[in-house]
Amino acid sequence: MFTQEDFEQLIKNYNEDFLYLLIRASQNSYECLISSFMMLKDLYNAIVKFQASEKYFFRILPYPLSFRANDDLLRTMGFDEEGIRNIYGFLEFVKQTQGKEFEECLQDSVYNLCKRDPGDQPWRMRN
Amino acid sequence: MANEKLSALVEGNIEQITGMWMRAVRDDTRIDSDAVLSSLELRDHVPAILEEICALLRADETPDPTNTLEGRVKVYLRFQQGYRGRELAREVSLLRTVILDFLADRCGAPSMNVNLKAYYPTTRIINLYMDEILINAISAYSETI
Repeated sequence: MFTQEDFEQLIKNYNEDFLYLLIRASQNSYECLISSFMMLKDLYNAIVKFQASEKYFFRILPYPLSFRANDDLLRTMGFDEEGIRNIYGFLEFVKQTQGKEFEECLQDSVYNLCKRDPGDQPWRMRN
Repeated sequence: MANEKLSALVEGNIEQITGMWMRAVRDDTRIDSDAVLSSLELRDHVPAILEEICALLRADETPDPTNTLEGRVKVYLRFQQGYRGRELAREVSLLRTVILDFLADRCGAPSMNVNLKAYYPTTRIINLYMDEILINAISAYSETI
């Protein structure tokens, strides 16, 4: 049975993963980051849906998934000015490589992502 | 589609609506917590909230916990900034009022050609969005240890 404690552990894992991805973005390690965010979005959606079912409580708050145009949020999470610039740089990188905004990419199929440069083919099964 | 027309109206006036909301918050004597925030901190991501609402209007999508991310940022930040819950609720109420007043004012112009039947779905989405923020805020303030 999935308990409140399990739910809290799920939020802790999500928070840790989210922070880790932002740390990577803050240090210009953008490769395949968007597909990681996409998978994390699924986890985030599961968390908020669990809580909305009214069977579980937010004793621990999950980080909000959006970080666009929000210096205050990023500072609260411990990022300095350079790190914040690089995180916003990731959003620009997504737009340049994917041809659309980060949030639009999150709605898309993961198979359309993971391109390093415009025109690159996504990873597929060999056969 | 009326939602698209009104979405474009909001989208084209995000700065104006944000400014109206900031003045309303500063003028509201029932909100104290804003005094310690700079203008940038107060403004925070209200423009992003308005953009998210516009996207929902364009898609004619009902707000729910998974598509109101910017509203959740607001709750998270205000909670971290030490805002009292009722003051956050007051801020959200003012944002709702400012947007609806703005739309009512602009839609009153005959050139807009928006009747009540077209106006209502837009206001419904806006209201549900604000309700999602409040539901999330109640959870954050009452459940978080």
